[in-house]
Amino acid sequence: MPILRDNELDIISHSVEQTQRIGARLGALLQAGDVICLAGDMGAGKTVFTAGIGRGWGAIAPVTSPTFNLVHEHRREKDNLRLIHIDCYRLQGVADLETIGFDDILARHGVLIIEWPERIEGALPKDKLWIEFNILEPTRRSFLLEADGARYQQLLNQFKEATFGV
Amino acid sequence: MTYILGIESSCDETAAAVVIDGKTIASNVVATQIDLHAKYGGVFPEVASRAHVEAIGAVVEQAMEDAGIDYSQLDAIAVTRGPGLVGSLLVGVNYAKGLALSTGKPLLGIHHIEGHIYSLWLTQPFREVVFPVLVLIVSGGHTDLILMRGHGQYERLGGTLDDAAGEAFDKVGRLLGLPFPGGPHIQQAAQLGNPTAYKFPRAKQDESYDFSFSGLKTAVMREVTVQPSTQARSKRRRGAEKKARLRSDVSVHDVAASFQAALVDILVEKTARAAAEYGATEILIAGGVSANSLLRQQMRAKTELPVRYPPLNLCTDNGAMIAAAAHMRFEMGLRSNLNFEVLPMWPLTSDAYELADKMV
Repeated sequence: MPILRDNELDIISHSVEQTQRIGARLGALLQAGDVICLAGDMGAGKTVFTAGIGRGWGAIAPVTSPTFNLVHEHRREKDNLRLIHIDCYRLQGVADLETIGFDDILARHGVLIIEWPERIEGALPKDKLWIEFNILEPTRRSFLLEADGARYQQLLNQFKEATFGV
Repeated sequence: MTYILGIESSCDETAAAVVIDGKTIASNVVATQIDLHAKYGGVFPEVASRAHVEAIGAVVEQAMEDAGIDYSQLDAIAVTRGPGLVGSLLVGVNYAKGLALSTGKPLLGIHHIEGHIYSLWLTQPFREVVFPVLVLIVSGGHTDLILMRGHGQYERLGGTLDDAAGEAFDKVGRLLGLPFPGGPHIQQAAQLGNPTAYKFPRAKQDESYDFSFSGLKTAVMREVTVQPSTQARSKRRRGAEKKARLRSDVSVHDVAASFQAALVDILVEKTARAAAEYGATEILIAGGVSANSLLRQQMRAKTELPVRYPPLNLCTDNGAMIAAAAHMRFEMGLRSNLNFEVLPMWPLTSDAYELADKMV
């Protein structure tokens, strides 16, 4: 177990199903205005994890890859909150954000999930949850969750409790 | 006779067409932007909307000229309202609104996927479709199995849980160093390859009608790339991007052929099973990936039912399909408000048009 800071959490998933369940745990805790960044290589499990987030959050439509359209917007039954899922893979940098209406998206105050956040780092809010995905072995993945700011520290603590009971 | 002008700009093709009675193509003009986007490895929104702006006027004029008619002879103007890229959709919609305003013709905002489905009505106009039919939509952004019991009636049986089929082609193409778009280039590379060289998983072999291509993509990546170093934590990793490298002993042809075979197997198995279960009279395939010849051939081979797919020029986005779908909607009485908004995400359901204005 690597030595982590207080605002970090390291998890290993042994299967696609487990990755989705971990995502669902996180999804159930998300609130309006939360920003979750998912970084890591292709095939590292970002979309699977997001599908889990969608399930836990209560998205009506299944969460699928937004690579083609760049932005997917989800809704749920219980309230008017939106979950906005962005893929920045094809963006070349911050300047391209205008083309997907990033300012509008931030202003909508929904839950924001960003894949390939490395591409637009300069434009991201200071406070956020950053999750780094790594491929360990064919079916094993590690996730490093890092909280920036008080809200995300709280989210991380809630997530730890929901997942490990500590 | 009903003349409808169809305008499509939801992604990377600027297109317009005039269709008579929803069946006969009087003109069909498409300005593609593939070359513009090839260097990005995918459609790039800003570039796409700029190219749409530049092309749309000429494309529509050309479609009218080819059809040999005047705006006054049109019965309606149809345009893709969604789903698609916001910036791209807006170009077509704003242009169509302007035309509708200046000509006084009714305007219809049409669902892009419904357009793909109704491209099938342009292919064999003299053989009427007998419902129910099973529709497989396969494109860069969509993979859906839909049961149609009547015009405009869509029951979604299943769809992709992660990547769309066309997206899987693009991503594997990129891994193999093939140009964008992945579909045609993988098909070409596969011709020289052995489809049984690699055993890629036919994931999601269950009772559902859902697809999953992410696992297949990851399996291909695992097979053909150098394993990334297994350090659990890259140092201050932000911004540092790891690029998967292709192994030097890999045959691109064999991988392309094996991947294509796996993906087609998945699509065909579920489609054939659903068609049998729901008593479909026919299988319809539409969307960009319906151009894949192995998919067409396997679908015919693995089912007794007739299989209908568009000619190659109607597989990719075009205005004729929008006009064809619009004809059906026009007959049903749809007239869109001149101030309607585009819908980047718009699920195709039987009540899609009723829900449309509530979604904004």
